[in-house]
Amino acid sequence: MATIARSQTLANRSRMTLSSAAGWYVVLGIASVVTIFPFFWLVTTALKGPNDAVFSFPPQWIPYEPTLHNFTRVWQQITVWRFFLNSLFVATCTVILNVTVSALAAYPLAKMRFPGRELIFYSLLATLIVPLELTYVPGYILAVRVFRYDDTLWSLIFPNVFSAFNIFLLRQAFQAVPNDLIDAARIDGASELRIWAQIVLPTVRPSLATAAVFTGVTSWNALLWPSLMLRTREIYTLPVGLNTLRGMFSADFRLIAAGTIIAIIPILIGFIFAQRYFVSGLSGAVKG
Amino acid sequence: MKARIWSRVTPYLFLAPALIFMSVFTLYPLVAVGYYSFTEYDILRPPTPVGFANYQHLLNDNVFWLSLRNSFVYLIVTPTIIILSIALAIALNRKLPGISFFRTLYYIPVITGSVAIGIAWQFLFNGSGGPINGLLIWLGVIEKPIVFLTEPDFILPIAMLMTIWMGVGYYMVIFLAALQNISEDLYDAALIDGCNRWQKHWHVSIPGIRPAIVFVAVISSLSALKVFDEIYILTNATGGVLNSGSTIVFYLWKQAFRLQNVGYASAIAMVLLIITLSFSIINVRLLEQRDD
Repeated sequence: MATIARSQTLANRSRMTLSSAAGWYVVLGIASVVTIFPFFWLVTTALKGPNDAVFSFPPQWIPYEPTLHNFTRVWQQITVWRFFLNSLFVATCTVILNVTVSALAAYPLAKMRFPGRELIFYSLLATLIVPLELTYVPGYILAVRVFRYDDTLWSLIFPNVFSAFNIFLLRQAFQAVPNDLIDAARIDGASELRIWAQIVLPTVRPSLATAAVFTGVTSWNALLWPSLMLRTREIYTLPVGLNTLRGMFSADFRLIAAGTIIAIIPILIGFIFAQRYFVSGLSGAVKG
Repeated sequence: MKARIWSRVTPYLFLAPALIFMSVFTLYPLVAVGYYSFTEYDILRPPTPVGFANYQHLLNDNVFWLSLRNSFVYLIVTPTIIILSIALAIALNRKLPGISFFRTLYYIPVITGSVAIGIAWQFLFNGSGGPINGLLIWLGVIEKPIVFLTEPDFILPIAMLMTIWMGVGYYMVIFLAALQNISEDLYDAALIDGCNRWQKHWHVSIPGIRPAIVFVAVISSLSALKVFDEIYILTNATGGVLNSGSTIVFYLWKQAFRLQNVGYASAIAMVLLIITLSFSIINVRLLEQRDD
C-alpha cells in the first residue's frame, strides 16, 4: 500500500514540477532583473557619448551615440589591472597564511591532550566577541609607530592572519577524523607535522575550502582598513582604487561607470572559473 | 629523553603562530582601546589620562545617540535578508534547465564588492534624473524627483536596500546547501500526509534548515550592527546631511581618523564591544534553547 501511495506521489510531483516550472522561471526571472539592473545601468552609462544624457527625465535607457571612448580614457588614466593584482596578492596571501595558521592551531585542540588546552580554547573563543572594528584604532597606531608597515600591502595581510572562527571550524572538522588513522601513523613513527599535513588536512578539504572562501571574500571586499593604510596609488587594492575613481572623475559619470565596469570584468571572469569552490565552500558552513 | 620533551612541546608549537597573531592583533588592541578610552589622545602627542570624561561626553553627544539608534534600526535587514534568501534558495532548489546559471547570477553582487555597487547605487538613486526617480514619476508615485542621497529620511533605507541586495546571494548559497541536505523522503512523507506545495516548505524545509537560519541570523545581525561601507560610499564619507546616516562604526571612524579624537573614538569602540558582547550572549542562549 505504502509503496503504491509513494509512487503516486512521486508521479504527482513530477507532473507538478512540469506545470509549475514556468512559474518558477518567472520568479527566477524577476530576481534576475533586480540583480542585473544596477549593472545594466553602469554599462549603458559607460557607453553613452558626450551628447547622451546621463541623467534625464524620462531616463535615457540606451545611448544614442554609443562609444567605447570612455573605456579607453579610463584605461589610459588609471591602472585598474594593477589594483586588481594588488587585491589578488593580498587575498591570496591572507587566505594561505590564515588557513595554515588556523589549521595548525586547530589540530592540537582537536586531537592532543596537554596542560592548558581548555584555557587556550576558551581564550580563543572569547576573541570571537571582539569586533574587528575595535582593533582599527590601536592597529593603526601599531602599523604607523611600531611595525611601520603602513602604506605597504603587508599591513592588509598580517592583521587578518588570526581568525578564531576558522580555528573553530577546522577544529570541528578535525574532531571527525578517526583517531585510529592518526594512531596508526604515530605507531609507524610519523611526526605530528607529517600526520597533520599528509593525513589530517586532506580529509578535511571541504572545511578548508569554507575557511578559505570566508577569508578570501572578506579580504577581497575590505574597504575601511585598506583605505586607512594605503596612500601610494600604485599599491591600492580594487575597493580603494575604485573609491578614488569617483574623486578623480567627479564630474564625468560616464568615466566613473566605465572604470567600475573595467574593475568588475576580471572579478566576473575569475568567479566563473572558481564558482565551484565558492559554492562548495559556503555549503561547508552549514554541514560543519 | 629528548624525544619526550619534543612531544610535550609539540602542541604548543602548533598553537604558537595563532597565539602570537592573536596577542598582537586582537588582545593587545583590546587592552589598548580600553586604556585609550580613559585618555585624550590625538596620535601625535602621548595620551593624557582624563578619567571618565570621554564616557561622560558620550552621554551628552546627540550624534552618538543618533548613530547608535541608526545601527539598531539597521537590524531590520536581518529578517528581510533571511526571508528573501530562503525564498530564493527554495526557488533554486529544483532540477530545472539553467538553474545553475541563475545561481551564479545571484552570487555576482557578493563578489563585485561594496564600492562598485555603491557607485551603481548612487547612479540609480540620483536626484537629477536617475532611473529610480524616473520610475517613480512614471508610476505617478511622486511628481518631482527626490534627491534621495541628501534626504535625511532616505539615506538609511537606501543603504539598507543596498545591504540586502548585496547579501541575498551570499546567504542564499548557505540556505541552498542546507536545503539540499534535507532527505527527499521527508517531502514524500509530507505529501502523503496531505501537505500542499506551500505547506511542505513550512513543515519540512524551514525546520530542516533551522541551524542555517540561526547561523545566518547571527552573522548578518552582527554585520548589520557594524555597517560602515554602505554609509561611507553612499554619503561620500560625510555620514549624510546632519549625520542622518551615521552608524556606530561610521562615527567611530569619523572621530578617530577624521577628527583625530582617538580617546573619544576608543570610548565608542568600548560601547561597540558591550553591544556585540550582549548580542553574543543572546545568541548563545538562543542556541542552547534549540538544543533542549
